[in-house]
Amino acid sequence: MKLSRGTTAGSVIAGAAAFALLATGCASDAGASDGDVELTITTFGTFGYDDLYKQYEDENPGVTIKATNIDTGGNARTDAFTKLAAGSGLSDVVAVEEGWLGQIMEVSDQFVDLGDHGADDVKDRWIDWKLSQATDPDGRIIGYGTDIGPTGLCYNGALFEAAGMPSDREAVAELFGGEDATWEQYFDLGKQYFDATGKPWFDHSGFVWNSIVNQLDEGYYTADGKLNVEGNDELKARFLELAEAAQYGLSADQAAWDWGGGKAFVDGTFATFVCPGWMLGVVQGQVEAGGGDASTGWDFADVFPGGAGNWGGAFLSVPKTSEHPEEAAKLAEWLTAPEQQIKQFEAAGTFPSTTEAQEKLAADATPNEFFNDAPVGAILASRAEGVIAQYKGPHDSLIQENVFGPALKSVDEGTKDGPAAWDEAISLLNEVVPD
Amino acid sequence: MSTLTPRQRLSRLDVKASPYLYIAPFFILFALVGLFPLLYTFVVSLYDWHLLKGQGDFVGLGNFTAVLQDRFFWNSLFNTFSIFLLSAIPQLLAAVIIAAVLDANIRGKTFWRMAVLLPYVVTPVAVSIIFSNLFGDDYGLVNNLLQNFGLDPVAWHRETFASHFAIATMVNWRWTGYNALILLAAMQAVPRELHESAAIDGAGAVRRFVSITIPSIRPTMIFVIITATIGGLQIFAEPRLFDPATAGGVGGSHRQFQTTVLYLWEMAFFRQNFGEAAAIAWLLFIIIIVIGLINFMLTRRIATGDSAKSRRALPWVRRRHEQVEQTVTTPGTIAEDVKL
Repeated sequence: MKLSRGTTAGSVIAGAAAFALLATGCASDAGASDGDVELTITTFGTFGYDDLYKQYEDENPGVTIKATNIDTGGNARTDAFTKLAAGSGLSDVVAVEEGWLGQIMEVSDQFVDLGDHGADDVKDRWIDWKLSQATDPDGRIIGYGTDIGPTGLCYNGALFEAAGMPSDREAVAELFGGEDATWEQYFDLGKQYFDATGKPWFDHSGFVWNSIVNQLDEGYYTADGKLNVEGNDELKARFLELAEAAQYGLSADQAAWDWGGGKAFVDGTFATFVCPGWMLGVVQGQVEAGGGDASTGWDFADVFPGGAGNWGGAFLSVPKTSEHPEEAAKLAEWLTAPEQQIKQFEAAGTFPSTTEAQEKLAADATPNEFFNDAPVGAILASRAEGVIAQYKGPHDSLIQENVFGPALKSVDEGTKDGPAAWDEAISLLNEVVPD
Repeated sequence: MSTLTPRQRLSRLDVKASPYLYIAPFFILFALVGLFPLLYTFVVSLYDWHLLKGQGDFVGLGNFTAVLQDRFFWNSLFNTFSIFLLSAIPQLLAAVIIAAVLDANIRGKTFWRMAVLLPYVVTPVAVSIIFSNLFGDDYGLVNNLLQNFGLDPVAWHRETFASHFAIATMVNWRWTGYNALILLAAMQAVPRELHESAAIDGAGAVRRFVSITIPSIRPTMIFVIITATIGGLQIFAEPRLFDPATAGGVGGSHRQFQTTVLYLWEMAFFRQNFGEAAAIAWLLFIIIIVIGLINFMLTRRIATGDSAKSRRALPWVRRRHEQVEQTVTTPGTIAEDVKL
């Protein structure tokens, strides 16, 4: 190819311009005029904050919010730790998931003590355990709680009906055992459903396992922080019970956070789904992505096998690298205030962590159109009763994803039975989790 | 000599020092972003080093022995090589053929060349997302097509070989055109006289391709193969995004398609063990150099067996240079070779 004189000159200019841009790029950040602050915030999953950002910007002239949302909590964790290690790149406000809060606590000195920014004035708004989760051993508050994860049962009424089961919300709660619902009962019903329809009962074993573990008084760690997996007979018995059900055919072996782009939620692949509050937004998003709507039949019942349990929930933290810690703390405080938590709930189904907002929702029977007019707020408030926060150790999410994740996948795929999969989990535990 | 004016001195200094100054930017940049990280990684690999807590005790080669005893490391090597072979070989063969076709007298040359390069413009992330959707296990387009033809669906994410094939497809889709264009450029530099005289001597198109084109583009072939090797052994984005959520996105629930760089990433940012991650990085570095050298030696032998014979006594560098020179400047020799 022959370059004409014109192109050569052109490319030289273009190159020089690019270089000049590069050279000046570093300096342009500081160019904002006085009083104007740009706050960055990173959230994950379905957080329901978009409208709140706009409201905050309107109410606080001079503040612009630049938001990033990461697809899953797991990827948000990697993102946060990578940037913590690099010592830069973290947003002014970072959403931290309960599952990896334990690991954040190990480096809590890299986060701003919100006590220096007025946390003491507002700390009574949260339920006790949410606040104590976010308080480090030195008494510093490093995160404002957003939501908690009381768990109810999502089920597809249309599929229940087709299988000759009751589809009415109260009748379903009754069917699963109401207050005394057990996993045994849940799996038995699943087997009936499977026998009647030949279709799986739940999407994949990993999520069911998460909710089982989160119900225990002590999960992967004891309350005083020791690993509690190997030789834990209760955990193993639960694991084998789930594996047996999956082997029967109750698991649809779906890839979590993918679900065939939501289609598995729409085409009747599975009939029940474990739903912590924040999952409701995910379910709705998946159904809509898969081409379904309210008529797809998803409903939300005030019952959960094995009783109350908390799965997930998040905190808003301000890393020390933030250039505007004062403004960032103010934004985090505002976003987690009761009024905003209610709005977040309305947008994404996340159940509030402040007593005031919880009480409001408990008294609120507003039907949710998407979930067959279920009074989602009131149901979640009822599910939140008796929820006990479990101690999360530093490697909780690692154990969840890379120890029990693969083992349960083996069960779902039918390549291993319960005992063999448990052995796989134990050997992975010893390989993957540092002592 | 001792009565030089300052101006003359300056001029001499200019002659002596300027060349070094001209090439300095590259070497300074290389030292900063290439050499220093390389050496620092080695330092890190000798310590217990936590991602967040930083440097710990000196452990010597402890991290290396830990990695070498780790079944996941060997698993990742197997996956890397499997994907590398599944991508590099078909890719280079296709690239050579495409380049040969583009080198022929066809209509709309620029259009075809642009079309071939187009996939390269797409970022690997976008390619991975689209392809992992196409290769979906339950709802993917590929499986739907297979089922339309009455074939069984393939578990693209679940089975080791199937997942390697799917990932290799992404790599091939993106890189074949790029390599084809580089090879095309080399082919166009082959003097037409060579082809003409060979044609006059009665050599057919295939014979000319094998005996003239291939030997003449050998230096470029070496370049393409070496870069393909380095790229292929460092593959990361495609397996990372082929299943971004399962088990934290470390390459499948059972690490069916976890490549070595993906394992390095898991070790560093997921398990936060920087020391072992650095050891993996160094082991991979060594492996790439070894494979690169093997490839280099293999490619040197390809297609030029006969002309290398006469110069066996010379060092390889000179031999190669001279041979290229000869190929280019003395068409007669090749033409005679062709006739033989």
